[in-house]
Amino acid sequence: MDEWRHALLSRRTFLLASAGGLAALFAPAVTLAQTANPWPILAAVQEHLFPAEPGSPGARDIRALAYLQGVLGDPHGDREEQRFILKGVDWLEDLSRQRHKASFLDLDPIRREQVLREVANSRPGENWLSTLLLYVCEALLTDPVYGGNPDGIGWAWLRHQPGFPRPNHPARRA
Amino acid sequence: MTDFDAVIIGSGAGGGAVAWRLAMAGKRVLVLEKGPWFSEADYFKDELACCRRSVYTPDLRDEQHVIEEAAGKGWSATPTRESGWDFWNGNVVGGSSNFMSGFFHRLKPVDFRLRSEFGAIPGANVVDWPISYADLEPYYTEVESVVGVSGRVLPHPFLEPRSTPDFPYPPTAEHPVAAWIDAACDKLGCRALPLPRAVLSRPKGRRRYCEYSGYCGNYGCASGAKGGARAALLDEAVATGRCEVRPHSQVFRLVSDAKGRVKAVEYFDRDGKKQRVSGKVYVVACQAIETSRLLLASTGPRHPSGLGNRHGQVGRNLIFSAGGVSHGRLVFDELGPQRGAEARVVGPFVNRTLHDWYVIDDPELGRVKGGVLDFLMGHPNVVSRALAERRDEDGNLVWGSAFKRRLEAALRGERRIDCEAFADWLPTDNGFVALSGKVKDKWGRAVARVRLAPHPHDLKVGRYLAERGANVLRELGAKDVAVGVSDSPPPNLVAGGCRFGRDPKASVLDPDCRMHGVDNLFVADASFMPTGGSVPYTWTIYANALRVGDRILAQL
Repeated sequence: MDEWRHALLSRRTFLLASAGGLAALFAPAVTLAQTANPWPILAAVQEHLFPAEPGSPGARDIRALAYLQGVLGDPHGDREEQRFILKGVDWLEDLSRQRHKASFLDLDPIRREQVLREVANSRPGENWLSTLLLYVCEALLTDPVYGGNPDGIGWAWLRHQPGFPRPNHPARRA
Repeated sequence: MTDFDAVIIGSGAGGGAVAWRLAMAGKRVLVLEKGPWFSEADYFKDELACCRRSVYTPDLRDEQHVIEEAAGKGWSATPTRESGWDFWNGNVVGGSSNFMSGFFHRLKPVDFRLRSEFGAIPGANVVDWPISYADLEPYYTEVESVVGVSGRVLPHPFLEPRSTPDFPYPPTAEHPVAAWIDAACDKLGCRALPLPRAVLSRPKGRRRYCEYSGYCGNYGCASGAKGGARAALLDEAVATGRCEVRPHSQVFRLVSDAKGRVKAVEYFDRDGKKQRVSGKVYVVACQAIETSRLLLASTGPRHPSGLGNRHGQVGRNLIFSAGGVSHGRLVFDELGPQRGAEARVVGPFVNRTLHDWYVIDDPELGRVKGGVLDFLMGHPNVVSRALAERRDEDGNLVWGSAFKRRLEAALRGERRIDCEAFADWLPTDNGFVALSGKVKDKWGRAVARVRLAPHPHDLKVGRYLAERGANVLRELGAKDVAVGVSDSPPPNLVAGGCRFGRDPKASVLDPDCRMHGVDNLFVADASFMPTGGSVPYTWTIYANALRVGDRILAQL
């Protein structure tokens, strides 16, 4: 319980700090250009974090991007976190161009790994990746009614037995 | 003019049981509940809904708490919106009893007189209760049949006296690991007991018996088997035609007259409009923290610092449950085919508890109140289990194939087995509820500020119990057994704040849970408890609320 609490506390602290626009985040940068289309980059990061392999699904198979888009578009969602996730794409692109003079999308897997490792070395960057992994896990293992885990593909892979009755619609506070 | 015989604020175990008692006796009752009204058809085994989004609790952006903890020589104050440490426990009709696991515990005679039995503990405000176990026993028994408690009585040294030989419902289906626990305890010389559970093993009226999906605690019940206040009591009360439940009704003030009696309740309805309603008698049962908050906010001509707070007692001596969770790994392949298959079973309850150390007599600790242990398989929530694998043993983020291998090992190949230790959380001067000076809810009302002050004694007792639980886990074949002790309060196991007692200067309520000096106001949740016993409280809340209902009937 204590570890969980501290994780929560620090997560929120980083999130607020990052969203508040601290100067140095993943890497020192002046004004970041807003990435015109963040979705292909988020999809590429998700696939790197959770790659498809023979016998196990990857980010695309579990519809991780569509799931994340649902999270980011949720009017009841956490605005700060939504902004933080999108802002992270700008930071990632900035770092990628600084290091390799190319968009993250145009990097080979080895360079993608290098850039993401560098991202993970800053606390906000680590928090950003951890947040993306969180929604990958939700897409993998929440009920298919929420848009991820098609036909229970994540459950089948991990031999997880869901409870019953299963939801017939996404839940929302009434 | 009074609209109702009784206006009850809060529809959980306390409010639900009073409503049931009064409605069944022919009285007209109104229950005001801040949350929505769900039934069996609305509850699914949906991890996102139960545990990852605020579906059954308020959004912390709208309503939160401020938590104070010791920091150096002073106190830090953190709004829960910032920390994410949520102190809500189920704000729907039936309250948090909808989401319990149904682990039920009768207090024992010793719990009613801790001060006399064990003497004072420096820094703790331990007192005897103004009633005894004998006063509550008939109501514990009534709860067994009215709410539906399954179990089996086995003789043991700390068995509390019972007016009936056994439970009205036999134990629920049991997990194969229960037999491992029995065997391990036999070897260790302790006695594993069947755990009483507020889950039906046989149908009862319109309620079905348990479907054993394996997802109980934290989840709403789709079969009606779980004895939450809505399924077990309010449905029946409403069916009499004399009990009205108004969901989405956030009570913000009890209005009192020049004599100090309560004359009305004010609340915000679903549209945020102020409403007012009155009754002959008022019952507050909003769960301990919110009950104290409401009373403190309800100032009046005779109650300038809050209703019933003339002696500054409202909100004081807030308690939780002390203890911790010891745990170990059941690795399927290493257990062999038979036991490996048994360990994988999902559905039935483990249903084992140990009362051997209800009173501890130890050379180091002396003779002190101990507590109970209970065993359960690690929570089935798969998203939270997966999230735990995001970091390696050094706390570094893991992704890619390495992350997937970790998921496979943790989720396919093994399960966690837990042993929870429950001990008394000692009441202290620094465990209290007050009103926040700064933070408001979405209606502009001061939120509750909760100061937490665990007593060092709790950790000692918690460790003593948790170590014994860990021994059983090792004996039954669990790997990497860790002793878990914590001084962090579990927000779902909260009581106190409005002690009952005979002395109006040292308590808020009289022995009938009527407010001292306010003869038409009762408190019926766990707020009345001066000491907690070895929780969970729900059975005690039900039993006491039925008792309070009888006192109200005598007065109406």
